[in-house]
Amino acid sequence: MAGVVKGPGAFAITPHKVSLCILVHTYASPSQISVPFPFSSVSQHNRLGLYLLALTKSCDDILEPKLDQLINQLREIGGLLDDWLTDHITSRLSSLSSPDDLFNFFNELRETLGGPDSGVMDDDQVILDPSSNLGVFLRRCILAFNLLTFEGICHLLTNIGIYCKEAISSSSYEHRLDDSGNDLESLSEYENMDLNLVFKKINEEMEARKKATEQVSFHLHLPKDLSTLVEDVEVFADSKPEHNEKGRESSSYASGDLLRDVDPDGGVFLRTNWQIQGYLMEQADTIEKHDSSFTFNAFELTLRQLQKLAPEFHRVHFLRYLNNLYHDEYFSALENLHRYFDYSAGTEGFDFVPPAGCKDFGRFEIALLCLGMMQFHFGHPKKALEVLTEAVLVSQQHCNDTCLAYTLAAICNLLSEIGFSTTSGILGSPFSPMTNVGTSLSVQQQLFVLLKGSLKRAESLKLKQLIAANNLAMAKFGLTHVQRPLLSFGPKTSMKLRTCPIIVCKELRSGYHLISDFCCEGSTMTTDGAFSTAWLKNLQKPMGSLVMSQDNGSRNNSNPFLFFTQPSSIPGSVLQLVGSSYLHRATAWEMYGSAPLARVNALVYATCFADASSSSDAAVVHVKLIQHLAAFKGYKEAFAALKIAEEKFLCASKSRILILKLQLLHERALHRGHLKLAQQVCDELGVLASSVTSVDLELKTEASLRHARTLLAAKQFSQAAAVAHSLFCMCYKFNLQVESAAVLLLLAEIHMKSGNAVVGLPYALASLSYCQSFNLDLLRASATLTLAELWLSLGSNHTKNALTLLHGAFPMILGHGGLELCARAYITEAKCYLSDPSFSVSDNPELVLDPLRQAADELQALEYHELMAEAFYLMAIVYGKLGKLQQREEAASSFKNHIIALDHPHDVDDPILS
Amino acid sequence: MSSKESCRNELRAAIRQLSDRCLYSASKWAAEQLVGIEQDPAKFTPSNTRFQRGSSSIRRRFRTNEITSTPPTGVAYVSTPVMEEDEAIHGDFYLLAKSYFDCREYRRAAHVLRDQTGKKSVFLRCYALYLAGEKRKEEETIELEGPLGKSDAVNRELVSVERELSTLSKNNMIDPFGLYLYGLVLKEKGNENLARKVLVESVNSYPWNWSAWSELQSLCTTVDILNSLNLSNHWMKEFFLASVYQELRMHNESLSKYENLQGTFTFSNYIQAQIGKAQYSLREFDQVEVIFEDLLRNDPYRVEDMDTYSNVLYTKEYFSALSYLAHRVIMTDKYRPESCCIIGNYYSLKGLHEKSVMYFRRALKLNKKYLSAWTLMGHEFVEMKNTPAAVDAYRRAVDINPRDYRAWYGLGQAYEMMGMPHYALHYFQKSVFFQPIDSRLWIAMAQCYESEQLHMLEEAIKCYKRAANCNDTEAIALHRLAELHRELGHPEEAAFYYKKDLERMEAEEREGPNTVEALTFLATHYKTQRRFEEAEVYCTRLLDYTGPERETAKSLLRGMRIAQSGFPSMDVEHFHP
Repeated sequence: MAGVVKGPGAFAITPHKVSLCILVHTYASPSQISVPFPFSSVSQHNRLGLYLLALTKSCDDILEPKLDQLINQLREIGGLLDDWLTDHITSRLSSLSSPDDLFNFFNELRETLGGPDSGVMDDDQVILDPSSNLGVFLRRCILAFNLLTFEGICHLLTNIGIYCKEAISSSSYEHRLDDSGNDLESLSEYENMDLNLVFKKINEEMEARKKATEQVSFHLHLPKDLSTLVEDVEVFADSKPEHNEKGRESSSYASGDLLRDVDPDGGVFLRTNWQIQGYLMEQADTIEKHDSSFTFNAFELTLRQLQKLAPEFHRVHFLRYLNNLYHDEYFSALENLHRYFDYSAGTEGFDFVPPAGCKDFGRFEIALLCLGMMQFHFGHPKKALEVLTEAVLVSQQHCNDTCLAYTLAAICNLLSEIGFSTTSGILGSPFSPMTNVGTSLSVQQQLFVLLKGSLKRAESLKLKQLIAANNLAMAKFGLTHVQRPLLSFGPKTSMKLRTCPIIVCKELRSGYHLISDFCCEGSTMTTDGAFSTAWLKNLQKPMGSLVMSQDNGSRNNSNPFLFFTQPSSIPGSVLQLVGSSYLHRATAWEMYGSAPLARVNALVYATCFADASSSSDAAVVHVKLIQHLAAFKGYKEAFAALKIAEEKFLCASKSRILILKLQLLHERALHRGHLKLAQQVCDELGVLASSVTSVDLELKTEASLRHARTLLAAKQFSQAAAVAHSLFCMCYKFNLQVESAAVLLLLAEIHMKSGNAVVGLPYALASLSYCQSFNLDLLRASATLTLAELWLSLGSNHTKNALTLLHGAFPMILGHGGLELCARAYITEAKCYLSDPSFSVSDNPELVLDPLRQAADELQALEYHELMAEAFYLMAIVYGKLGKLQQREEAASSFKNHIIALDHPHDVDDPILS
Repeated sequence: MSSKESCRNELRAAIRQLSDRCLYSASKWAAEQLVGIEQDPAKFTPSNTRFQRGSSSIRRRFRTNEITSTPPTGVAYVSTPVMEEDEAIHGDFYLLAKSYFDCREYRRAAHVLRDQTGKKSVFLRCYALYLAGEKRKEEETIELEGPLGKSDAVNRELVSVERELSTLSKNNMIDPFGLYLYGLVLKEKGNENLARKVLVESVNSYPWNWSAWSELQSLCTTVDILNSLNLSNHWMKEFFLASVYQELRMHNESLSKYENLQGTFTFSNYIQAQIGKAQYSLREFDQVEVIFEDLLRNDPYRVEDMDTYSNVLYTKEYFSALSYLAHRVIMTDKYRPESCCIIGNYYSLKGLHEKSVMYFRRALKLNKKYLSAWTLMGHEFVEMKNTPAAVDAYRRAVDINPRDYRAWYGLGQAYEMMGMPHYALHYFQKSVFFQPIDSRLWIAMAQCYESEQLHMLEEAIKCYKRAANCNDTEAIALHRLAELHRELGHPEEAAFYYKKDLERMEAEEREGPNTVEALTFLATHYKTQRRFEEAEVYCTRLLDYTGPERETAKSLLRGMRIAQSGFPSMDVEHFHP
């Protein structure tokens, strides 16, 4: 009820807890021998203890296990003792037939506990330390029992009766479950419609998902079997055991609950608060890790049940918000977010102590922070900024520095992701203490100041994770922005207007410290609970192999891994941060132009941080690796890898994997000369971007860059130039300087191909200077190559110049460039030699032939017909000059083949179709 | 409409049948309506009409649109034959069971009837079982209430009762009363569609069971559902429709239905109270007060619906009347949620908010889903500056009924108080969505937009416009509209709204700083527009006021005269005497 906050440590005594008490009593029965009666060895004894500990902590479900589940697990644990333990429990439980039996039972339990002054005791005697985990558990049980009213005891007694009865009739229970599947008639009589509806919904959802993937493939004329890969859960069952287990589990619970709901006598009991909190936290992690493949309705069902059983447990609303958020349900996400904070005033679930003297007002600034991030997630940057501004104000008002630091970080993130074209009026007055230099600064400068401020704040508050996150944000900023002096007056120190890779590296590296000295901003609860959960799951394995479980090739290979990594107790969020610094490194190297380093970092991420990573980060790393494959190994391998990635990430709309697929398809279509398809794919890519200005800029640039490329390939030069020009304008407007360099280069190419080499030259030079100031070495090499081509097309007297340029860029191109770039460089080199009037072929044929052969080899993998034709054409000419007729004919026929293939792109068999 | 006499006969028979089946609240309702039918003065002696109040002069005053003259509506009413009693053989057992039932010994009653197969006996047995289960459920809810509010206590008889009734209904062995109980059970189990179907069947074959109608009404949450019901015509349907319309916030429709019904049931307290509630929703507080005063005079021990009356007294700040009402209900029945709510209102009016919260809490203890108590408690918490608790209380109201615009509004206000106007907007938007005709909501939203943090004046103007269009009694909107337009530099619009505001103030014979402001602006505006005649009118009016504006008006007038007479504009002060 409003205003009445009940203690979080609520603990109710339930039949399951009673049977745990029986087991604890057995485990620590007051006897004089070191190994008490039923146990035959110390290890057996310890094992039971461990099991009991795990049972009190594990958080794999919201409901307490039934007696038959308990007995099954005991069977795994007890080994030889199995029968004895089972009998003991059941007989003990069934002997509780009157309230007085319960009184006696709990009195007896009290003996198990050592007194507070039992400092002196025999080594041999087994007495439970009252402050140990099990001791505390026992004490809580006894306390809870003592607090019960007589009616409560009566209820407990009835519930114990039901609990036992269910276990005995568990076989018939199973039977009923089976029956319910076949006999719909009888089912409808027992269950309420509501649940039926939910199951239908789950089915519909599956259908819809299937349809969605089919639709995409339909557009792209992809074969059926590709889409069937994504078809359903069944695929995952083997390839990734724990991946879908969750969904499975919850749905199986759901069907169980269905019957439990029906049976009014069915005792359904929640676990302890602590365990449920842990469960919800784990679920929150899982949602993040497998966003779209996490089944929405199954979890919703669990949450609904939880809410029914514990209406005052408001965390449920937050989880529901998360579930909606990751399934792109805007309105219900919004509704649940508001509901959660209305109920909890932002204080439930956050470890928070009100500062002394400050009136407890609720933490509504956290609500604002969450709302802002949600708006940002759904692509409403303007609203998000408004909300976050309010969050800043409110947290300042209530001196919540932590929240302020997080809010600032969120704003930085927002500003860096979203393009803002205007320079003023974005950050209003509340920021003036932070950006005290005034609002005359550009957005980028404001962002920089804000970043600095946020970092400083995080450092002073010692929020380790936030510091790391801020460091990453700084690195990202340094990667794409030239730092200018903030003062526009005063003595100007000579400053090179270049980005500073060293700073970027430094920022990235400082993130690593986190792993060595993180202190728990998260809580120990999850690690503890997760450990117990994992331990219990491992029970299914043959006994004894628990620690040394190396059973090769077994289905749940990941479990032993889980078992070893989890207790090392680095919180998942820390791992995620450290992992993302590797991801940032990979990106940085990609931009600076070191292919191997980029690849290595991506690989490190994929191998070491895959478990902790969120699904979007994991997708990014897959994209990077596959792009690398495509550039260096050709399409065949790239598409093979893509197939694997698609299996892993359900092909949700707008996912990165889908974008990658479209990119690859577009590139290949361009190379093969299949221009119609290229245009179609390009359009699909453009459609994926949000229609709101300044959102999804990356995707928008990508799409229109590809559009211009397609037009160029179709030899519609003026249109291509127009598209590229407007793209450049957009990049300029939103300060996308790195992209500007690429667009300028494209413009140079367009002019070169249209025969206007002179017009192309300034563009190439401009691109070069951009590359220089942003340290984009690979792009710079490619710009140099274009420049060389431009010189070459200006006439034979410029060949020397072109050749010098080319040779200067060669080390970079050959070392880090992809297949296409290398091939282009080789061909250009050959062309240079050939057009040099002072060069005679017959003197040194290999100087020309060798690069041409190399180019032809490399282009083979890309199926780049146009360039290949050019290479073979040149080869044929050289052979002709040399008088080697046979080779000339061979080259000529190859040339012909490629030209034909270019003209009839449809004839080529499609590996992705096969 | 069927004649009063036939209504009377139908009701008389129904009351007997209903109370014979222990459906007491339905029979109570029917009896109320029976007495509510206007007697033929020729046939009865004055002693018979003692309980009827033809004398109410106040009511006459407000019934301008003479309902009594409304002709019977042209609907052809299906007259359903009154059912025959079916059994007399096992009557003795039935009598015993009924006595047990009347003593609230439900299980015993059910046990007596265990082997009876007559429809009446079966019904009573099932009904007794159902009630026994309900009683136990209530007890268990308190026994089992966990720390997190777990309240999964269920009526354990539901399954068996449902099973029996569904078999009976499959075999067509069920009477309308059985169907009513079946519908009730189905609703409890969450099977709403079937419940609706069954209840419709029940009321179509036996329309006089008001309990069945009310259950049906609680299942009609949207107009679409209502329209999809296949109800046969009967005068009871009018009662039902009136009640549903009220629940669906179609107050005017509901009101007209009730007024129609008053043609026959002239003296029904029930109808009178419902009209009062509808008028309350339409914010006609004066009328509501009169209606409830009249009602209390005739039915002094009534507690039902009196919370609405107390709300009116609260709004009008009638301290003593409210305390009198509170005293009266507490003597009648202390443990009714309505009583507690009335006392809560009283304490709130007195400014004793802690005590007020205590009584609202008690009301909620008695009925957890008592919507207005949650909302009112929220208001109290706001007064006590305990915003998180207020937010919590409002949210509970909203979760019980998402259409409760007052609670949404309260949520918005609470957040606005905490300096979170943007966050508050979400709630104000919700509230205007459910009640777009309330100017206060629009004004609150506009003020949010106007706030220093947001400063979204365009949006604020839009909201004020809506507010001005829906009868803004406090006349804030027009004035703010004018001011905002002036600030934004739209003189034409500003002049328009100042003029309107002025007209309104004239109509209401109000004067104040706003009048002066409006006059000053209009005078200056028309002067700059060189429409001197109009400007002069406003200037002259300004001269009636004291203060600096008077001087301004004078100088404006002088300036205009000079401009009109073609003199070059020169220092006017120079010529001042």
